[in-house]
Amino acid sequence: MEKKDIIQSVKDSLFTGVIALALFGPIVGLRTASKGEGLFITPQWGIVFILVGLCILGRFLINLNSARKTEFTFFSKFTSKLSSVTEEKAKHLAITAILFAVVFPFLPFTDRYFMDVAIMILTYIMLGWGLNIVVGLAGLLDLGYVAFYAVGAYSYALIATTFGWSFWICLPLAGVFAAFFGILLGFPVLRLRGDYLAIVTLGFGEIIRIVLINWYEVTNGPDGITGIPRPSFFGLPFKRSPDEGEASFHTFFNLEYSTMHRIIFLYYLILILALITNYFTLKIRKLPVGRAWEALREDEIACKSLGVNPTNTKLTAFAIGAMFGGFAGSFFATRQAFISPESFTFIESAIIVAIVVLGGMGSQTGVVLASIFLIGITEMFRDLEQYRMIAFGGAMVLIMVFKPKGILANRKPTILMHGDKK
Amino acid sequence: MSNLLSVENLTMQFGGLTAIDNLSFDAKNNEITSIIGPNGAGKTTVFNCLTGFYKPTNGQMFLHKNEGKISLRKYTDFKIAHVAKVARTFQNIRLFPAMSVLENLLVAQHNELMVASGYSLFGLLNLKSYRDKEQLAVDKARYWLDIIGLTNRADDNAGDLPYGDQRKLEIVRAMCIEPKLLCLDEPAAGLNPKESAELNKLLKFIKTEKKTGILLIEHDMSVVMGISDHVVVLNYGKKIFEGTADQTKTSKEVIEAYLGVDE
Repeated sequence: MEKKDIIQSVKDSLFTGVIALALFGPIVGLRTASKGEGLFITPQWGIVFILVGLCILGRFLINLNSARKTEFTFFSKFTSKLSSVTEEKAKHLAITAILFAVVFPFLPFTDRYFMDVAIMILTYIMLGWGLNIVVGLAGLLDLGYVAFYAVGAYSYALIATTFGWSFWICLPLAGVFAAFFGILLGFPVLRLRGDYLAIVTLGFGEIIRIVLINWYEVTNGPDGITGIPRPSFFGLPFKRSPDEGEASFHTFFNLEYSTMHRIIFLYYLILILALITNYFTLKIRKLPVGRAWEALREDEIACKSLGVNPTNTKLTAFAIGAMFGGFAGSFFATRQAFISPESFTFIESAIIVAIVVLGGMGSQTGVVLASIFLIGITEMFRDLEQYRMIAFGGAMVLIMVFKPKGILANRKPTILMHGDKK
Repeated sequence: MSNLLSVENLTMQFGGLTAIDNLSFDAKNNEITSIIGPNGAGKTTVFNCLTGFYKPTNGQMFLHKNEGKISLRKYTDFKIAHVAKVARTFQNIRLFPAMSVLENLLVAQHNELMVASGYSLFGLLNLKSYRDKEQLAVDKARYWLDIIGLTNRADDNAGDLPYGDQRKLEIVRAMCIEPKLLCLDEPAAGLNPKESAELNKLLKFIKTEKKTGILLIEHDMSVVMGISDHVVVLNYGKKIFEGTADQTKTSKEVIEAYLGVDE
């Protein structure tokens, strides 16, 4: 490397330092603390200097690297390798991943906390796969997906608490309700595309949330719905002391009572629901309606000129996407046993869209990787409390810098004339 | 030769602007009818009226089928292709660029495949009846790809094809809906002489072998004069001449419209 380049990168790094100082100075450097009466400012210049120093050093290293023109990144290589695997290998990879997911609850290091995180990640994977139908395949940017999640959760909660029906009856009903709301949203937005569609769907998400807050007689408003029945294992409840004459899961199988039983059951439940979503999506993508979704994403006018009915095609995408959101919603309700409108804010929609976009639009594996990455990282930094969202943002920035089209961006044709050549 | 399309007193106004003014012409079965005219003459507007993208202010358009004549005004949007069987291509190519060549041709057979897949139900169950129908659709796609020589690129993305091949693919994609009438909007735009010659061959093949009437908008006179059976000349939305290719070449009105009047 030439001397000129070094001077250039030192200058650039110092400039970065100035920006970092301007940002971190007031945000980190000046901390307000309440002592006795009133607020006092306690400066923390030490931390500021460490942060600014890190920025300068990091920028300098990046400059050195780009000057040497080496690809720095294990990440890009890893993902490009993943995108280029053949169908045969992809199948093996998927089976390994599913096997790992199946044995996960019984691994030695798995504890209650890990299980909770795994259940959360799987819920987001399922939501991501559901939204992938609408955003990834049909190309309809939906920023209000959480509305269907909410409709599913509330339908489940209301039906289960009012009629006392079992989880397995309420689940499909919740899906049907959510699909109905999907069509309801679909109709007014049929003519909209892109940014306009995004705004309307965003509004729809908020409408559902506000209705949930204010429709006190039905939804119990901001207090939420409590005492939602837990799912049972084929009629065997997970109770410590079952009622007289009733068997519960641990007495039936002669096991020591443990709260983990229910957690493990919930884990398998969401795993199965997510796998059904995935299987369904992979299948339907190869059917005429799936191809019509993708064609609609590519060029709506060309679709019309070929006799594809855009109305039906869009509505099926909205309905099926919403249905899976509804399934995930009922799972959420039964897992929490308590739901309130607070769980269905815009940030949830944003996270799900982020998972789909960062995963690579339309890629099923991408959704899995993005969910693990985004939710996992946010969880890893839980100790940082509110600053963990910085980790979340950082993860998004990293993916967008190295993989602007998402982690797994390449699309495989749904049907091949000459077979898999690779 | 019997009439395939009759356009009667077609008028299209956008606000105060009359894009097409009382236009009448016929297109015959198994013939290539060209619509030519200087830029802004209203050629593409005629297409947009015929294919349901615009609703004409006035006038009628009839398609003559075996079972009688049907009015194209009744059909809008996707129904023009689906029910009336009028297919079209676009001035700026509209393929599905991120989908494979084969998938492009299968989307064109969407409606038959939808029925065959029992609106997805049989397809999800993977019934043999659906798989057979899908194979037939693939065979039809292969048939057309063989004709334009793109069979070995069937699994590549349509957007990765060279420009000339994209043009040809768009035409055969329109043919996959088995149209009665095929409307081509400047298919030779941007093609080199060799590609234009291939295009001529393809259009003649469609005309004679497939018995499909073709309506053609084109600026490339080597294409127009080489293959047209009938030429309609428009200027400022009005028909100024109608006749065979040879008559058109020598027509005083046409030359004036293109080159201006000698003072």
